[in-house]
Amino acid sequence: MKNTTILLMIGILVFVVGGFVFINSESTDTSGTDAQIMQGETQRVVLSQDGLNYKDIVAEAGRPIVISADSSVAGCLRSVVFTANGKKYSKYLKTSEDTLVLPSLSKGTYSYTCSMGMGYGKLVVN
Amino acid sequence: MSLKEFKDNNLNGLLKTVFVSLFTSFIVFGIVYLLKLRFIDNFIPKYGFFIFFSILSYSVIIPAIKQVRVHNDFPCMGGMMIGMTIGMISGFLPGFFIASTNGMFYGSVFGMIVGMGLGVLSGKCCGIMGIMEGMMAGFMGGLMGAMTSIMMFNDNLKAIGIIVFVISSVILTGLNFMIYRETKGVDKKPTDEMFNIVLSFILTTVTIWLAVFGPRSGIFG
Repeated sequence: MKNTTILLMIGILVFVVGGFVFINSESTDTSGTDAQIMQGETQRVVLSQDGLNYKDIVAEAGRPIVISADSSVAGCLRSVVFTANGKKYSKYLKTSEDTLVLPSLSKGTYSYTCSMGMGYGKLVVN
Repeated sequence: MSLKEFKDNNLNGLLKTVFVSLFTSFIVFGIVYLLKLRFIDNFIPKYGFFIFFSILSYSVIIPAIKQVRVHNDFPCMGGMMIGMTIGMISGFLPGFFIASTNGMFYGSVFGMIVGMGLGVLSGKCCGIMGIMEGMMAGFMGGLMGAMTSIMMFNDNLKAIGIIVFVISSVILTGLNFMIYRETKGVDKKPTDEMFNIVLSFILTTVTIWLAVFGPRSGIFG
């Protein structure tokens, strides 16, 4: 079999499967969109760094939380990841104006990390 | 010795192996998708890209391993280069893609197992130096791939995945050319494609299972 024939077959395989993957790569999950998150009065919480980890933060239950980071937060800790109710919320808070919006949470303690999983903190919802 | 000679004498076999590996992996992916994965919410958006590129990665790693198996006898320097290149890339790419879906720990472990396994398998063509080089490179590549993925989690992860794959493909093509140059005139051992089919099948199956049903680190919980 000629090289060009095999290359063509490889190209077709990759094109068909890759096309299928890329066409369907749009998420249909709308449960974490801003429109739903932003319902209700929001509360603002500012993250600070404490050594190599975050300082613990406190918020009220039942109200969406807008999170930003102050200038003490440096390096990969500015890329923050929250997991709440089985969903992941993450954002790179490059400046103090950048915010990450979490939906209203029920009472409890939620842990959060930097995107590398190296720096930790706790979000206490009362 | 030129690239043209390589193209005329060696490229056909490599392309056939790429095709066989891709075909096997896509058949496995297609069957599992139709039977099970299509019922999972947002399967393609969550895992499709990473599984697709894992399959492409295996299809460029396996031809290089086949090239080594065909000759299976190299001087120390060549064998070390083989062990190092195959170990590093076959650790880095699976580590990178699994860490993108399961977290750094599971990506690192999977990357190290695949990288060290294939690195040793390829590096043993020249004895203990190749074996050690394969083990070291697989160990380092698995950790590095997973770490890169987590570090870039919020910063164009998919784009860097494509770039890493393209660079790895170019490096492996260079390795194939090096093997061709080192073994010109040496008799080849006859091999069939069964080993490549089995290896593609195992790697693809484990990757899909791990990405979709496997354990996850905290930030993916």
